[in-house]
Amino acid sequence: MELGLDVRKVDSHAVVDVKGEIDVYTAPKLREKLIELVSEGSYNVVVNLEGVDFLDSTGLGVLVGALKRVKAHDGSLSLVCTQDKILKIFKITGLTKVFPIHESVDEAVGAAE
Amino acid sequence: MARVEIEIPPRSAYVGVVRLALASLGRSSGLDEEALDDLKIAVSEACTNAVLGHEETGSDEPVLVTWEDEGGVVVEVTDRSEKQEPGRLEDSQGFSTRQVMSMALLESMVERVDVEASPTGGTTTRLTFSH
Repeated sequence: MELGLDVRKVDSHAVVDVKGEIDVYTAPKLREKLIELVSEGSYNVVVNLEGVDFLDSTGLGVLVGALKRVKAHDGSLSLVCTQDKILKIFKITGLTKVFPIHESVDEAVGAAE
Repeated sequence: MARVEIEIPPRSAYVGVVRLALASLGRSSGLDEEALDDLKIAVSEACTNAVLGHEETGSDEPVLVTWEDEGGVVVEVTDRSEKQEPGRLEDSQGFSTRQVMSMALLESMVERVDVEASPTGGTTTRLTFSH
């Protein structure tokens, strides 16, 4: 099982396009990438979940950890997600109140400006 | 449909294998896409909790997953790790811990979740699905 992680710059944001399944096996790879971005000075991060087929509590834990890291630098972490099955996970765990969730990368970048 | 048993090494790489296998069994049982998504999450959470329990204690005992469909799907995940005390509900910044999110997901994806100490040591998580 592979997790695809592509990072690109959009304005002052680091956008991470995630593809595949985020679970206990693949989540460490996402965590490492997000830690790397923050350590390189990218404090405004957009995680694009449109290519994600599966997300569970380990993936949520990684996103919460990354949010705490960017907040420590007065940064932001927002998500892009329109898939009902993924949004449901954020709703059940109350994280829709914690993460700004947008319908597109452009919207996420614009909102955080 | 017959009872199916799958035994996995207590390693994170195998959680996805169980998820795929049980999704396939669910499809054969006629579950719709939404029910399959719920099944995958619940199975993944139960297996993740089992595997992480083993990693904490360094145990190599396999995790047993059973599937039964007798008018309703029941999945059991049994580990043999000496579980630690339940973790804290929140971290120092007030965020729910992974375990709390995991239990919230389990409880909303299945009709009923029972967690009990198994007679052989370890924990059995029984997931009863409604359909």
